[in-house]
Amino acid sequence: MPGVWIFAERNDLALELLTVAGGLASQTGVKVTAIVPDQGDQADRCIAGGADEIVLLSPLGEDMSLAAWIPVIAAEAKGADPDILLIAATARGKDFAARLAARLDTGLCSNCTALHREGDGTIVMERLAYGGTAVDRVSCSTRPVMATIPPRTFAPAPADTGRSGEIRKLPLPPSTPVRVIARKTKDRSSQDITEAKTVICVGRGMEKEEDINIARQLAELVGGEVGCTRPISEELHWLPDDLCIGLSGVQVKPDLYVGLGVSGQIQHVTGIRGVRVICAVNKDENAPIFQAADLGIIGDLREVMPRLIEELKKATGR
Amino acid sequence: MEFKLTEEQELIRKNMREFADKYVEPIAGEIDENSRHPAEVFKRLAEGDWMGIPIPVEYGGAGADYLIHILAVEELSRSCASTGFTVSIHVGIACMLVLLNGTEEQKQQYLLPMAKGDKLGAFVLTEPGAGTDVMAATTTAVLDGDAYVLNGTKTFTSNGPTGDTYMVFAWTDKAAGRKGMSCFIIPKGTAGMSAGTHFQKMGLRSSQTSEMVFKDCRVPKANLLGKEGAGLVMAMAGFDHGRVGIAAQSLGILQAALDESIRYAKERVQFGNPIARNQAISWMIADMATELSAARFLTYHASWLKDQQRVFSKEAAMAKLYASEAAMRHTIKAVQIHGGYGYCKGAKVERLMRDAKITEIYEGTSEAQRMVISGNVLR
Amino acid sequence: MPNIIACCKWVIDEAYIRKGPAGALDFSTVDYKISDYDRNAIEEAVCLKGLHGGSVTVLTAGAPEAAKGVKDALSRGAEQAFFAGDPSFNQLESSQTAAILGEIIRSRIPYDLVICGEGSSDQYAQQVGPRLAENLGIPCISYVQKLTIGEDGRILAERRVEEGVEVVEAPLPVLVTVLPEINTPRIPGVRDTLTASKKPVVAIKKEELPPVGAARLQTMGMTATRMERNCEKFAATPEEVARFVGALQKLGVIS
Repeated sequence: MPGVWIFAERNDLALELLTVAGGLASQTGVKVTAIVPDQGDQADRCIAGGADEIVLLSPLGEDMSLAAWIPVIAAEAKGADPDILLIAATARGKDFAARLAARLDTGLCSNCTALHREGDGTIVMERLAYGGTAVDRVSCSTRPVMATIPPRTFAPAPADTGRSGEIRKLPLPPSTPVRVIARKTKDRSSQDITEAKTVICVGRGMEKEEDINIARQLAELVGGEVGCTRPISEELHWLPDDLCIGLSGVQVKPDLYVGLGVSGQIQHVTGIRGVRVICAVNKDENAPIFQAADLGIIGDLREVMPRLIEELKKATGR
Repeated sequence: MEFKLTEEQELIRKNMREFADKYVEPIAGEIDENSRHPAEVFKRLAEGDWMGIPIPVEYGGAGADYLIHILAVEELSRSCASTGFTVSIHVGIACMLVLLNGTEEQKQQYLLPMAKGDKLGAFVLTEPGAGTDVMAATTTAVLDGDAYVLNGTKTFTSNGPTGDTYMVFAWTDKAAGRKGMSCFIIPKGTAGMSAGTHFQKMGLRSSQTSEMVFKDCRVPKANLLGKEGAGLVMAMAGFDHGRVGIAAQSLGILQAALDESIRYAKERVQFGNPIARNQAISWMIADMATELSAARFLTYHASWLKDQQRVFSKEAAMAKLYASEAAMRHTIKAVQIHGGYGYCKGAKVERLMRDAKITEIYEGTSEAQRMVISGNVLR
Repeated sequence: MPNIIACCKWVIDEAYIRKGPAGALDFSTVDYKISDYDRNAIEEAVCLKGLHGGSVTVLTAGAPEAAKGVKDALSRGAEQAFFAGDPSFNQLESSQTAAILGEIIRSRIPYDLVICGEGSSDQYAQQVGPRLAENLGIPCISYVQKLTIGEDGRILAERRVEEGVEVVEAPLPVLVTVLPEINTPRIPGVRDTLTASKKPVVAIKKEELPPVGAARLQTMGMTATRMERNCEKFAATPEEVARFVGALQKLGVIS
């Protein structure tokens, strides 16, 4: 039976997947099925977000892992034979998807960042390869076409409360040999700057020592660490030397680097060459950092920072 | 003819690259600035068998080719020429002297801990009045019962303040001329031997260099290395080994200069374009890359001859002469490419240029190498 | 005394990939390496062996050139290797790799624990581990940052998940995929590399294996992500800052 299925362990991610699923389903006039945990008004929200059918997963025992559902969902998928199955790329979701793909003997595009349907009906999916050096475009010739989609790749589907859909519940799966014995939520402790996934870098454009707190606040918000350019540590002594990034300092390779008031001297830029995404905020439009950056905001830090923090709070839900 | 490293050689080179990137590169600027011997690095080098690569396993080494030692010195020097040199002189001269000339007891007692990296070796030959002119040395060793008594002053001793096991050369019979010098193994702490404070040098700053003073220093007969009077011949053979190491050190410096120059020339924008697009710059880089390749072939060839147990004095001198002079020439160019930034502390090329100079001086100056080479070809 | 299998992949070192004009990728000067996180897998296996005894076998499938990778893996402390090398195994897709490794393990290697890296540094599909567990019909514990084997022979693992840590336990045999933070892989010493050449390698020919199925995913084209960093500029207005944050989200760098 044709259809587009989505599976996400969290509601916000289900809504993001529904954005893609809705688009793909409407092209061929098929239904969208959302498989989601039975929590609160999850089902209604997914229906409002574009799902035609909701398959609810009853709450598992404390010691059971999400993976317990794999055989159940595999059986469902084998029975219904959907065209497409999209799964939110959380750690558990990626594990789930790969094992499901193995059971369904089909292809899976991991960490898919874009997908579209070609004229001949082929679904073309994009993913990064070689550490982000390349974009790989793939297609899948077996059914269903599967992809895991990283959180926040797509905007959540808008709610249309007038929609209706069917809801059904799956019976609890049998327990598995893997037992969850504890769940710990994150505590944010400070990290080594070279290990950080995000680095907020303070440059000479920071006017006062107290302004570093803005960088700290930003780092806290996105789960990163604060580093600096050489003048900040060596001349101003606002931060210790081991946080100095550059040719003669440390080399950092986080996923995200945000330079605040960093001019972008080559010696500093050398230290961030391996960063995946480089961002800069600087009031000087001609600052060399903008040549080394992927994204840049031209503006005064005092004006930009409050806005940036506010928008990030909105985006990350913190 | 095959211009190819074996899989093992390639893997070992790669591992040393990783080691140097991880443990040496980050501190290279600091140990240069502070003229500090990085004991923590040498402990790690010992753990990875890097301190005795060509020494047989039974004497504490890794039992590998000399070429592998050369590759290790090259990669290490690419991050820090001082650290590379310390390994080179320790293995290439101190360890090799005992391996080639020592008795079984001496090998067990002195070579084994050196090759394992527990003890650091030093080569004590040069004197204030005897540089290239080794025969002008004045340090003497006089047999007195069961011991030799050494008196004299040595200088420019690498690993002087930090060494554990010293290979010391002194006249046992000055009248015998070239057959009158002998070599003694003297462990640290021997009464009458003392190291002076280390010299503040232009470059190679983390390698510790000092005077060594011998005052009625009694050395047991058992510590005579090789035969009495064979010292000079042994020293010259030691130099052959050591010089290939200095050539490798020069390769490391030159490779680093090339890496830095390429990187900077592509990044530095002037007049709207990366300076690499200027022929003046790109040709400098072309020459640098070419001479690096030439130096590398000379060096690996000399090392290969050593591994084939063939004579390699001339080739060692050629490799050292060419590689060290190429390193000097092109580190100057590398600074030029970097402009003002290259002249400032913290730029790697600035350190490379200072470090390069010594490679033309020690273990035989360029002039001494030309003497060896011309002596060979004009024979 | 667990028998541990560590799986590894010999991959292109992405640092050597050059970007040609018009988004083309230039692989002409590339070098190869053991996939980054597979080093963690081998290290973990060797550490566990140090604690509990047993054995460590490395297993890989790839092009014949991957023999060098096998040597590299053996220099990291494993005592033997199984290597399925064939020119056609050069660009295997996750489903194919899992099928080959699964077949070799089932038919040739007794085991209690299989350790894989969380993903390979070339494709980073993060599928081989879980697919292999399915192929072997054993439990899979993925994204593990801490691993212990209890005295009762059960395995205790800390998985890193979005909201924190999930601690799980399972009886052996089990397959685990490890995160880079689980350990610091050693840099092999000179002797480690030299002795690696003397360790046994069981070479498996393609003909000794059941036919490998077709790739489940087909690459239609690959392009460089970008030639240079092309700075997209934003103004300081609230709307523009919001658009900037949106761009960060699209790039997947904030969470």
